[in-house]
Amino acid sequence: MNDRVGGSPRRVGGYGRVTGEQEYVADIAAPDALHVKLVTLDCARARIVSIDTTDAERIPGVKFVMTPAHLPTPIPRFGPQFEDRPILAVGETRYHGEPVAAVAAETKDAAESAARLVKVEYEALPAVVTLAAALVDGAPLVQGPEVRPGDPLATTNVLREHRVGWGEPEALEADKADLVIENVYDFPMVTQFAIEPHAFMAAPDGDGIVVWSTIQHPNWLQRVLSRILGLPLSKVRVLSPDPGGAFGGKQHAKYEPLVAMMALRAGRPVRLVLTLEETFQAVRRAAATIRVRTGFHSDGTFVFQDIAADYLIGAYADIADRVVGKGSYPGCGPYRVPAARILARSVLSHTTPSTAFRGFGAPQVNWAVESNIDAGAVALGIDPLELRLRNLARRGDPFIPFDTPADGDWEQAARRAAELIGWGTPLMPGRGRGIAFGIKSGPTTGLSYSTVRLLADGSVVVYAGTSDMGQGARTVLAQIAADELGAPLEWVTVVMGDTAVVPYDQQTSASRSTVLMGNSVLHACREIQARLQSMAARLYGVEESTIVVERGIVRVADLEVPIPDVLVRGLGRLGGELIGIGEMRKEADPEHPLGGSAAFFEFNCTAIEAEVDRETGDIAVIRHVTVSDVGKALNPLQVRMQDDGAAIMGLGHTLMEHYIYDDAGRIRNLGAIDYRIPTSMDLPLELVSDMIENEDGPGPYGSKGMSEGALIPVAAAVAAAVRDATGVVIRDLPLTPERVWAALRDRP
Amino acid sequence: MRAFSYERPETLADALALLAANGRDARPLVGGTDLIIRLRDGTARPRIVVDLKRIPELRPGIETTTDLLTIGATTAMTDIAAHALVRQRFLALAEAAAVVGSVQIRNRASLGGNICNASPAADTATPLLIYEAVVIVAGPGGTRRIPIRDFFIRSGETALRPEDLALSIELPIPGHRTGSVHLRRTRRRGHDLASVTMSCLVDDRGITRLAFGSVGPRPILVEETTGVLADPGATDGAKAALLETIFSSATPSQGSMRASPEYRLAMLRVLGRRAVAIAIDRLAQP
Amino acid sequence: MNDDVQRLPISVTVNGDERVLEVAVHHTLLDVLRDDLALTGSKECCLVGECGACTVILDGRTVDACLVLAVEADGTSLTTIEGLASEGRLSPLQAAFLDHGGVQCGFCIPGQVVSAHALLQDNPHPTRADVDEGIAGNLCRCGCYEQIAEAILRTAEASGR
Repeated sequence: MNDRVGGSPRRVGGYGRVTGEQEYVADIAAPDALHVKLVTLDCARARIVSIDTTDAERIPGVKFVMTPAHLPTPIPRFGPQFEDRPILAVGETRYHGEPVAAVAAETKDAAESAARLVKVEYEALPAVVTLAAALVDGAPLVQGPEVRPGDPLATTNVLREHRVGWGEPEALEADKADLVIENVYDFPMVTQFAIEPHAFMAAPDGDGIVVWSTIQHPNWLQRVLSRILGLPLSKVRVLSPDPGGAFGGKQHAKYEPLVAMMALRAGRPVRLVLTLEETFQAVRRAAATIRVRTGFHSDGTFVFQDIAADYLIGAYADIADRVVGKGSYPGCGPYRVPAARILARSVLSHTTPSTAFRGFGAPQVNWAVESNIDAGAVALGIDPLELRLRNLARRGDPFIPFDTPADGDWEQAARRAAELIGWGTPLMPGRGRGIAFGIKSGPTTGLSYSTVRLLADGSVVVYAGTSDMGQGARTVLAQIAADELGAPLEWVTVVMGDTAVVPYDQQTSASRSTVLMGNSVLHACREIQARLQSMAARLYGVEESTIVVERGIVRVADLEVPIPDVLVRGLGRLGGELIGIGEMRKEADPEHPLGGSAAFFEFNCTAIEAEVDRETGDIAVIRHVTVSDVGKALNPLQVRMQDDGAAIMGLGHTLMEHYIYDDAGRIRNLGAIDYRIPTSMDLPLELVSDMIENEDGPGPYGSKGMSEGALIPVAAAVAAAVRDATGVVIRDLPLTPERVWAALRDRP
Repeated sequence: MRAFSYERPETLADALALLAANGRDARPLVGGTDLIIRLRDGTARPRIVVDLKRIPELRPGIETTTDLLTIGATTAMTDIAAHALVRQRFLALAEAAAVVGSVQIRNRASLGGNICNASPAADTATPLLIYEAVVIVAGPGGTRRIPIRDFFIRSGETALRPEDLALSIELPIPGHRTGSVHLRRTRRRGHDLASVTMSCLVDDRGITRLAFGSVGPRPILVEETTGVLADPGATDGAKAALLETIFSSATPSQGSMRASPEYRLAMLRVLGRRAVAIAIDRLAQP
Repeated sequence: MNDDVQRLPISVTVNGDERVLEVAVHHTLLDVLRDDLALTGSKECCLVGECGACTVILDGRTVDACLVLAVEADGTSLTTIEGLASEGRLSPLQAAFLDHGGVQCGFCIPGQVVSAHALLQDNPHPTRADVDEGIAGNLCRCGCYEQIAEAILRTAEASGR
C-alpha cells in the first residue's frame, strides 16, 4: 500500500501547507503581543559609549527599550559549544547586525520608529572580515583573552585546532609518492536563506514561561532558557511549530533569550520576527581556505592526503567549531588513504556567526579534496572516475581507521551515476563532464525518546521531538507507526514541537531523524506489539510465544488477525489504550576524536555534464546526476525531493551564492536583490536523482540518513566538468560567469 | 516603513498641482516595485506619495496610428511584452519588458516608472533609445516632448523636473524594414538586475543603432551609418573596429558588486557583436 | 500609535467577500492581509519582490503583496491562497502539489500555488519553459522546482481531458 513504509503517500501536514492554514511562528494569532525591533549599528565592530533611549521611549505605543542596563550582571551568555554569546552586545559589537538594544511596542510601526530613535553613541573599530586579516600578527582580537582563560590560543583569533590523522608521519613526505599535487581552494560565505525568516515569541506562563521559536532543537533551547532564567525545565515550555525551512540555520538559540527576558519584563507576550536581512546577519556557513597536498602512486592510488583547512567562523562560536571539527574529519573522502593528516582551524572574525548548514563543514573540504583528485587524474592521465574507483573504500573497509567501517556498496552508487551521465560516451563540442564523491559522517551521539499511543479504535498518536522543517520526518514517522500498528496513515497523528508534551529528543540534525527517531518510534511500536502479543495469548488461550505481531498483523497459529481486532477485544469494556515508549541512544565515545563514531555515512556520487560559453563564462548545467546510498527509502518520493533540493542548493554555492563584505564588515549584498539563489530558471536542463537501496543501514528497515550527501560533491563535479570542457581549473567559488571568463582570459 | 501621506488625485491638473506644491517631498507612485522598496529601506523619504493610477489621462494602454505607437506611461511591462504590434515592430522593447523582474513584478512595474527611475541598468531604456522614442511630459507650463536621447541625465536623474509627469512614450513606426534585439548580462538565468544591457537595431538602409546601459551613469545611444555593421558580408574585423569606437564611451562604475568594470567592458563587446548579428538575422527574415 | 499616521477607508473584495476597512496609508497589502484581516497564508520573507512568498492575485494578475500599498488595492478584487480551496476541498492544483511532491517545508507554497493558479488561468496548457518562467518569481529553497513543475503540468494535462 502506498501509505506504508516504502510508499510515497501525500505529505502528512501537506493540507495546511497548500491551503495556507499551516501556522508558522509569525502566523500565530497573538493580539496582545508586543512587537520587538532590534537596535543595531551601521558597522561590524564598535565600542559602545552610551545608549540613550529617551526619544525612543517617547514614541506612543513604546513600552520599553531593553538595553544591557536592564539585564543581570554579568550579562548572561549562551552557546552550544562555548557560552560566549551575550543576550545583547556587551561593551562592543562584534558583527554587523548584533543587537545593542531592543524595543518593545504595541505596534510594529512604533517599534520600528523607536528603534531608529535609540541614540547609540559608539566608536567604530577596525573589523576583521577575512582569514588573512584575522590571522595576521597583531590582528584585533574578536574575543578578548579574558573569555578564554587558560587557552594557549586565547591571544589569537584561532578558536580551536582540530587534528586527525593516521599512518606514519614519514609517509606524508613528497618522495614517498610518484606524484604530489598541491593546491589551495576557497569556499565562500553563504547563507541558509530559509524562506521563513527566524521568528520568536515568548509569554509569561504562570510561574514559568512559554517560548515559541522557529528552532530545530527545542530541547536544547529549553535547556538554555532554563539556565539563563533560573527556572526548572518543567517551567520552560518551548513550542516549535514546523519551521519553514532551516537547513541547519535554526539549530541553536539566537534571540530567544532576549525575547524571553523581554516577555518577563513586559508581563505579556512579545514577538520578534526577523526580516530576511536580519536573518542573513544571524546565520551563515563558514567560508574556508583549504590547502591540499595529495600523494599519488603512478597507478592513481593514494599515498597520502595532507589537508590544512582554515574556516572563517563568526564573532561567536555558536556550533561553528563543531562544524569545523566534524566537517573536516572525513576530509580524505570515502577512500582508502594509507596516510592522512588533517588540520582544521576555526578562526573567529567580526562577521555573522557561522553555524550549521546542510553538509556541516564537509562541503568546504570536499570541494578542495575532490578538485585536487581531479587535478591528479588529469596529471596522471587516468580517467577521474577510474582513479576514484581504484581508491574507493569497499564495504567493511576501515577507511577512517578508528571509525565505523565503510557501511555501503558505494561503488554501486558511483557506477549508477556514471551510467546515468553517460560517462565515457562522446560529448558535444563545448561540453564537459565531471564526477565527484561526497561523504559525511552521520550523528556521533544521539538520544531520541518517543511515545506511541494505540488508541481504542486502532488509531495512533505518535509523540516525537523531531522538527519537521520540510525534510518530511512527520510523514516518515507516521508511515512507520501506520505500518507497524496496522493503522491507515490518515489515522496517525504525529505530535511534535512542544516540550511540555513531547518526550526529549536531543536534536534534529545530521540527517539523524529517520535513523534515531525512526528507531525510537519503531521500538515504541514494538513495545505495543509485545502487549498485543500478551493480549492475543489471553484472548485465544495460547502460549504467548506462539504469537507473532508484525507489520500490523497478529498471527495466531494460521490466523492473521488485524491489530485493531485484537485491540478492541483485548481492551474490553473499559476501553483505554496501549502505550509504548521508544528510546534510541547513540552513546558517546570519549576516546573518539569526534566524541563518538559515525552512526552511518552519507555517501553520494554527483556527475555533471556542463556547457561553457567561452565568451561570457556562463556555465549551463546540461545534466546533473545525483545518486545517494540511502539503505532503504522509507518514502522514495521524499528521498528524491531531498536529494533534488540538496543538488540545487549545491548549485547555488557552486554558481552564484556568496556574501560580499565591505571594509566596515557590513554585508554589501544584504537581502534578496543581490544575494542570488537558484530560481526555477536556474535548474539543470535535466536533473536526475537516483538512489541505492541495499537495506544495509542502521535505521528502520535498513534505512540510513540522507539529504545532505547530494549537496556535498556538487561544486567539485561542476568545476571538473568546466575543466573538462575548457581546460581551465578554477579553485575559488562560486563559479560566476565573470570568474570563468577571467580564468579563460588568463589561461596560459 | 516610515509614515507618509498619500494622495490619489483624479485629474492630471490635481496631480501636477500636488507635485508643484511639494517639489522633491512628493513622489509619484505607479507600479511601486521600485518606490516601495525604497520607502521601506529609507532611501526614499517623501512626505507625500502621489498615486497616479486614478487619473484618466494616465490610464495604461497602447495606442497606434499608422506612423506612431504610443504607450501610456503607466502601462505595465506584462502588457508591453505581450502586445502584438510591439512584438512585430519593436521587438527589442518587448524583449526588454519581458525580462524586467518576475511575472509579479512585470504585472505591476510601468514603463514610465522604469525610465523615470533612471537606473543605468533599466532594461527598457536601451530599446527606447534605438527606436528614437519621445517622452511626452506634462508640467506646470503645459505639455512638452523630450526625445529619449535627451531624457537620461545620470543615475537617478532625468530631464524631468520634480513637478513634471511623464504621460506617455511615443515610438515612431519605422517606414522601412528593421531588425532589432535586446540582450543583457545577469548573474543567473532567473530574474536579475542586468550588469550590461544592449539593444540593437539595423535597418534596410544600412543604419545600425546600438544602445547600451549599466556601463556608465546613463544609457548611451550610438548610430552607425557607414553600413558596415549592418552588412552581413562585412568582416568580423571591420565590425570589431567599429564596435571598439562605439564602446569607447562606456565608463562602468568601479564600485559595483554585480560585475567588475573589466567584465562589463568585455561583455559589452560580446553582447554588441551578438546583438548586431541577431538584428541582421531578424532583418533578413521575411 | 502614531497620531500623524494617515488612515483611509478601502473597500476590497477578498476571496469573493467584500471587505471594508480602514488602513494606514503606509501599510502594504501584505501588512493588511496578515495583520488586519488575519489572512496569514500569504507569507512575509524578502519584502523586496524577489521571493514571491506573498503572491496574491489582484484583479486577475499576480502581484507581490509586499510591493503594493493597501490603499492601492481599494476597489480591487483579490484572491489569496485562502481562496483557492473550497469548503475543505483542495483545488486540483493544490491536490497535484501534494501528489507530485511539490511541498516540503511549505513556507513558499502559498505563493507558488497562487502563481501556478494564475499561470494556468492565463495559459491552460503551458510548456515546461512557460512553467519555469511562470514560477521564477517564487523562490523555493527546499529546491522543489522539479516537483512543482510536474504538479502544474499534470494539472494542466488533467484539465485538458
